[in-house]
Amino acid sequence: MSGTEPLGAIDRLIQELNRLPGIGPKTAERLAHHLLAASRVQVMALAEALRAIKDNIRRCQQCCNLTEGELCAICRDPRRDPALLCVVEQPRDVTALERSHTYRGLYHVLHGRLAPLENVGPEQLTIPQLLQRVQKGGVREIIMATNPTLEGDGTALYLSSLLAQSGVTLTRLARGLPSGSVLEFANNQMLADALEGRRAF
Amino acid sequence: MAAEKGIALVLRTTDYSETSRIATLWTREYGKIRVLAKGARRLKSSFENALDLLTLCSIVFLRKSSGGLDLLTEAQVVQRFSRLRTHLPALYGAYYLAELLADWTEDYDPHPMLFDQALTTLQELGPPVSPEGDATPVLVMRFEMQVLSELGYRPVLEGCASCGDPLAPGEVRRHFSVAAGGVICANCQGSVRDRQPLALETVQWLQTLAEPGDHWRHVASHVALEGRRVLGQYVTYLLGRRPRLLSYLERGS
Repeated sequence: MSGTEPLGAIDRLIQELNRLPGIGPKTAERLAHHLLAASRVQVMALAEALRAIKDNIRRCQQCCNLTEGELCAICRDPRRDPALLCVVEQPRDVTALERSHTYRGLYHVLHGRLAPLENVGPEQLTIPQLLQRVQKGGVREIIMATNPTLEGDGTALYLSSLLAQSGVTLTRLARGLPSGSVLEFANNQMLADALEGRRAF
Repeated sequence: MAAEKGIALVLRTTDYSETSRIATLWTREYGKIRVLAKGARRLKSSFENALDLLTLCSIVFLRKSSGGLDLLTEAQVVQRFSRLRTHLPALYGAYYLAELLADWTEDYDPHPMLFDQALTTLQELGPPVSPEGDATPVLVMRFEMQVLSELGYRPVLEGCASCGDPLAPGEVRRHFSVAAGGVICANCQGSVRDRQPLALETVQWLQTLAEPGDHWRHVASHVALEGRRVLGQYVTYLLGRRPRLLSYLERGS
């Protein structure tokens, strides 16, 4: 294949697959040949699914989670407590927290974390939408559920400085020992966090 | 391929594949290294979540002779600077420290003294503890001057950076040129186009930043502000771009 010739359909498919995270040239080639061998119905279903995520998926107008309607299923659910807001970095964090089946409030998805070293500033996140939700009233508590990394904690710190005067209770997720583990194998940081975050029986 | 051991500060991390991570580490023994940490994103890995930004950890790694990424095999947390997580200006100051070290030092070029100075700065950064106010801007400038001195870019403040002559005593204002690399005398001012006025007290305070002792801790706010401006311009000139964190620092000061 010379550099000036237009790419054929197979080469184009390999090139596009190769752009996906974790897919190298060989895997891309293997996937392309798998799709070539698959039935037309199967390949069209994949093409339709890919088209649909770009055409139909948008951000929820309230919490910025990904949804196909104006509001996501969680924001539409009347059994949820609208006074309780859990702030997370990514939509996949909502899925993870929902798996626990213990949280009955609403969410706010930031779509990232404050990372000035990677040129991600407050303007790239959905912080204005969060402030608007709080200003509208009706929010009693905001749980900062950003990742327990330096940048995640930095994002929570930045938000808490913005919301300090709002009168809303600000809390953050507990950290420390994982359930079912043993003290002997916990690292120093886990033990320090667990001791600092201890609570009364 | 023998395993190397060292103590390292995490300067940058990037996710790589589902479970692995690439990290830029600044070690006391080897200088800056770039490593692949296989499985580092898993909750249970041999890295114990040590690869968080600005965490001090003890590491074991395999050095690649081919010039690719080194392979990190173990990392254990030695210290997390938890006070950074409670004071936003201190956090931005620490990010700036990481930016300077990551972008200004070369791979496998160790600077043990600068490493120790970075740790001292990170230990001190945090919420204000004295009624005098937030020490973050001054601590950051002190470290900036230490970086400049260690890398051979310390600004000339005692004599003229252009001709080397001693400066006339008694003048209230001096002139500073980022291109000349320091203050310039009255005779050279005409030939240096990027000169800008700088108060004598700011020049004297900048001198204390590069010296041992604690004199630099005592500074008037207008002097610290002018020092911030000049150092920011000088670092920008030397780096060839404006550091990303400078605007955050200027907003916070």
